[in-house]
Amino acid sequence: MHIPDGFLNNNLEGVLLIEALGMIVYCLSKILKTITVTIGIIADNVSGANIDNSQSFFIFSENISKYFQRLTLIALWIFAFQMFNIPVKSTTSAHLLGGVFAAILTGPFASFIIMSFVIIIQSLFFSDGGILALGANILNMAFIGSFLSYYVYKAFSNENQHFGIFIACFFSVMAASFVCLIELKLSGSIVFSTAFKNIMGLHFGISCLEALITVTLLKVFRNVNGESNE
Amino acid sequence: MNKKKLVLVIPIFTVFLASLFASKLPDALETLAINYKFINKVKETSSLFSGYSFPFVENHYTSTFLAGTIGLVLLCILFKITTKIIKNLAKLIYEKSK
Repeated sequence: MHIPDGFLNNNLEGVLLIEALGMIVYCLSKILKTITVTIGIIADNVSGANIDNSQSFFIFSENISKYFQRLTLIALWIFAFQMFNIPVKSTTSAHLLGGVFAAILTGPFASFIIMSFVIIIQSLFFSDGGILALGANILNMAFIGSFLSYYVYKAFSNENQHFGIFIACFFSVMAASFVCLIELKLSGSIVFSTAFKNIMGLHFGISCLEALITVTLLKVFRNVNGESNE
Repeated sequence: MNKKKLVLVIPIFTVFLASLFASKLPDALETLAINYKFINKVKETSSLFSGYSFPFVENHYTSTFLAGTIGLVLLCILFKITTKIIKNLAKLIYEKSK
């Protein structure tokens, strides 16, 4: 799924890169806003006790560290499992995307940051995905993988959590590959109608694989990290 | 083993397994590029650990494992820097509001 440099035209890559950087800043500001609002609430609650403002911030600063440690762990899991390519046909392999895994554990904004950071490291240090195509890869894997999958999961997980995960994985993989096809079409690399059946058919199988791995990873991660399986 | 340690050991162990067993077949996008003959459009970019291989290490498995482990370390560093920035910004906003 990682698009290398050269497949997309430069204008499209540029626009998507700016959009991706904007989204990273927006999501970080959302996390910052949540943190500062919570600090305010905590400070108000402890103002009656004999704790001054600097002490209450210190207490919360520890919680910020713990929160980001959890995001780091999720990112490490995604990076490691993305290295594990599994053969899906005699000529093709696939790996976990991980957006649903991160979105269920942290919500869409933090998940977007996790996925983006993984993609940035892969692109800059491992040539896994192009540097100019970073914006396209962030849109396909981080944005769709985090936001679309999170809201699909929320809509379908009320009755059965596993069903919600399966549908979210299905939509995240299929939508990411569909958007990737549109980007390739806009860049003149493919004829959309002929490539559509080919790539979507292939990704249908990959989405089932994504769902299976995501369910397993969620169970294992929550278990070893001492979290409830709700 | 302590569960807290296990949550860190699992990604390292996965990188180790990936270095041994990960498929070398092209992914879906590469397969599409080969089938639709636009694979030659790819612009090879060189980076320190291109293709998840550690420079100067001949053995393929060791090289992939080392590169993957460094990837994990780089991610930790990136998140550490982000945590520091967010903490400082949160402190600044908090102090301003008081």
